[in-house]
This record gives sequence, C-alpha cells and structure tokens, in this order.
Amino acid sequence: MTKKQQKLVRLTACAALLCGVVPAAGAMHIMEGFLPPAMCILWGVIALPFLLAGYFSLKKAVARDRRAVTLIAMAGAFIFVISSLKIPSVTGSCSHMTGTGLGAILFGPSAVSILGVIVLLFQAILLAHGGLTTLGANTFSMAVAGPFAAFGIYRLCLRCKVNKKVSVFLVAALGDLVTYCVTSIQLAVAYPSETGGVSGSVLEFLGVFAPTQLPLAVLEGVLTVMIMMALEAYAQPELRAVGFEEAGA
Amino acid sequence: MAHRHTHGPHSIDRLAYQSGMRGWNPAFKTVLAVGTLVFCLAADRPAVSAAVILALAALQKGKGKLTLRDYFGLLLVSLAFLLLGGAAVACDISTVPAGDWQVRLPWFYVCASADSVRFAASLVLKALGAVSAMYLLALTTTACELVDVLRRAHLPPLLCELMYLIYRFVFVLLDMYGRMRQAAGARLGWRDFRTSCRAFGGTAGNLFVLALRRSRVYSDAMAARGYDGDLRFLEEEKPVRAAQIVGMLLFWAALIVLAVL
Repeated sequence: MTKKQQKLVRLTACAALLCGVVPAAGAMHIMEGFLPPAMCILWGVIALPFLLAGYFSLKKAVARDRRAVTLIAMAGAFIFVISSLKIPSVTGSCSHMTGTGLGAILFGPSAVSILGVIVLLFQAILLAHGGLTTLGANTFSMAVAGPFAAFGIYRLCLRCKVNKKVSVFLVAALGDLVTYCVTSIQLAVAYPSETGGVSGSVLEFLGVFAPTQLPLAVLEGVLTVMIMMALEAYAQPELRAVGFEEAGA
Repeated sequence: MAHRHTHGPHSIDRLAYQSGMRGWNPAFKTVLAVGTLVFCLAADRPAVSAAVILALAALQKGKGKLTLRDYFGLLLVSLAFLLLGGAAVACDISTVPAGDWQVRLPWFYVCASADSVRFAASLVLKALGAVSAMYLLALTTTACELVDVLRRAHLPPLLCELMYLIYRFVFVLLDMYGRMRQAAGARLGWRDFRTSCRAFGGTAGNLFVLALRRSRVYSDAMAARGYDGDLRFLEEEKPVRAAQIVGMLLFWAALIVLAVL
C-alpha cells in the first residue's frame, strides 16, 4: 500500500471507531429490510476500512501480475459456489455452508473481505439471500469478522502444533459460529429487548437460531476437513498458487 | 415454494433475462428500486410497506410478465429467517412473568405483549416490502447491466472487472459442479450421510483444482484477444420514457401521502 492508501485506511478506521466499536468478533444473511436505516449505515461504515484494505492489497496483486485478475475472480466465484451448494444434511432440509473458514485459510482474510462484498451482492441479487441495504451488516459478519476470526484461530492452531485435521475443523466450525454470533449481536443492537436490553436480546436471537446453526457449524467443520483432505492429496501446486503455503508458514 | 432456491442462481437469473421489463433503462430501474427501498425503510409504516408489496407485485405481473406464483414463491425464500427473526423480536425472556402472554419454561418465562407482536408484524411487513423493492431490480435487470450501472456510478474499474468475471465464473463452476455431482451420484456417492460427506468433500476439492486450471485458460484467452485491464461490452441503448418517470414520481408521491397520513 502507498502512504496515501494507508492514510485512507486509517482515516476510515477512525470513522469506524467513532461510530462505536463492537466486539470484533455471521452464518446467516440478514434479510433485506430487517435492519433500520441507521444500523445499515453504521455497519457499512464499520466494514469500510477492511474493504479498503482488501481493495488496496488486491490492487497491488493485480499491478504485480495482470493475470492474477482471473485467479482472484475464480476465487470469488469458488466462494460463491461453495456457499450456494446444497450440503448433505441429516434432516433433508436445505442448508448451505458459509465458506468463510475455507476462504480465509485458502485466500487470506483481506482478500476474502473484498471478494466477500461482491459475493454477498451477487447472493442478494441472484439467490435473494441477504439484501442491498443489509449488505454492510452482512459484509461485516460474513466477510470480515468470520474470516478474520477463522484466520486467527488457524494461526493459533499452527503455532500450538494442533493436528491439521482438528485445526481445519476448528477453523471452519468456529468461523461459522463467530458469524452466527455477530449476526445475532447485530440484530440485537437493532432490536433490544424491553426488559433485558441488548444483552437479553442477544440471547433471544442466539436462542432462536441455535437449533439450525449449531449442527450446521459442526457439519461445515466436517465438510471443510473433507475438502482440505482432498486438496492436500491432489492440489499441492494449486494451493501454492493461491498463496496457501505462505499463509500457513 | 421455499424450495425454489434449490435451483440455485439459475432461476432468478433466468427470470431476469425473460422479464418483460428487461427493455427498461437499467439506471432508471436502479433509481426506482433503491428509492422505493429507502421510502419503505424510512417511512416504517405498515400501510406504506403493504402498498409497496402490492404495487410492485402488480408491476411485476403486469409489465414484467411474471406469474404471481413465481413471484410470491421467491418473496418467501427468506421465510425461515423472517419467522425466526420476527419471533425473537416479538418475544422477550425474563425471570418474572411479564407482558400479555407468557410461556413458562424450566428457568425462565418467554413473554410477549400486544405491542411487541404488533411491532414484529410491522417489521416482517417492512422486510417483505423491502425485498419486493430489491426484486424490482433483481428480477428485471441482468447482473451485467447492474455492474454497468455501478461502473457509471464510478465504482473502481478493478472491482467492476472482478464482478463481470465472478458473475461469469459462477455459472462455469456451477456447470462443472453439476456434472461432478451427477458423476458422484452414478457411483452411489449420495447413498447415505457418511458417503455424501465424503463425496461432497471430494467434489468440492476437485472443483477448486478445476477452477484454478480454468482461470489460467481464461487469462490466456483474454490476453490473446488483447486484454489490457479493461473489459468493455457492447450495450443496448435503452432510453427512459417520460411516462416511466411520471409513473415513478406519482408512485413515490402516493407513498409519501400514505406515510404522512
């Protein structure tokens, strides 16, 4: 990043801080129209510094190698497809992965943040998951908080020399849970409960979404382990091409 | 109904291409949709939300040539989120009985009052109104035209380019995945839960490998055609008609009247 770009990131970061810092800690898309306008703007501003940082790192990668554009676009499309696939589930209901954990360990959290916005926009207009005004809130939970938390957990597991499969499981499952908790917090801040305030409302939202989200998080963990096993067996050169070894080192 | 989205992005994309309102100017549709969305959210009145839902359904049926069954089926894609989210807003947890209705559970009460239920209902209605406004855009405008609108709104060219490519690659990958899924199915890959997990991991991993290989092929193909960092497409001219603008202003005026009343 150049000096000017760094300054811009820092400036927007300050604006985000001014708007009220929330615990930097989503698997569900908040649907269109569910958040009041002030909240939409607030979450958009909070997500902005991460997006700018992601955009500048992307710009640098493309300036270095023009051919990186198709690779990055393919990474974005892969995240979209992974998160729109119907996954095997016990109940036969229709569930999806979030792909935040997988994306974060494969492509790095800052690339996922900017790809995440584009993917979320397409999910809104092609799948009707999420929305246009809730794009900021969804971006923060699914493209910023989830991947950054997942990546942190991944680094921690590597440092502590946790078994590879266990760490991938933890990354994917906890990444999914972080997304779900952040979404619940976002909803609770917008709609605090009458008696319990925001914290009471957080519990309510966590409670109603828990029956679907907890099994999904475990399933996402298992599936991500399966995917990583397949990748390590067949795709070593490809993993290096997207910078996976660098991130893991 | 709710299973409509199991068809994936194909259904909304196809409907957008088939829509009778495809000939309308995309920038105009964006202004109309986003404006209506903002009105619906800012007014926060059940009457306005209901008017938006009905008026836009009529528009999609009349001008967009969309069947109402398709339209309302799509409107309820987020039904689960709507019901659960609505329930969480309507109900309250407390250790002592409160509100108009309570359900006793082992350690606490789940309570709801007439006010909170009314609030939750108006929230659900508002969300449905906002979703119909979004559909005005999503079901009538192709993703390429939308990216073009964003490009004219001065979104950085790199991002527009990525969006064009991602949009294209999504369908390339879904196509590939469809074939892999069928191949796995032919080998009894989806026989039971355990096998399905294994098959899913294998196909998704394979998809990643093929995706990267394809990306190299695409960048070679683009370089061979003189790609230098700027993707431009031929656009159809779609002028805005005066009647459309008058219609939009009248609609918005009606919404303002409803909001003030």
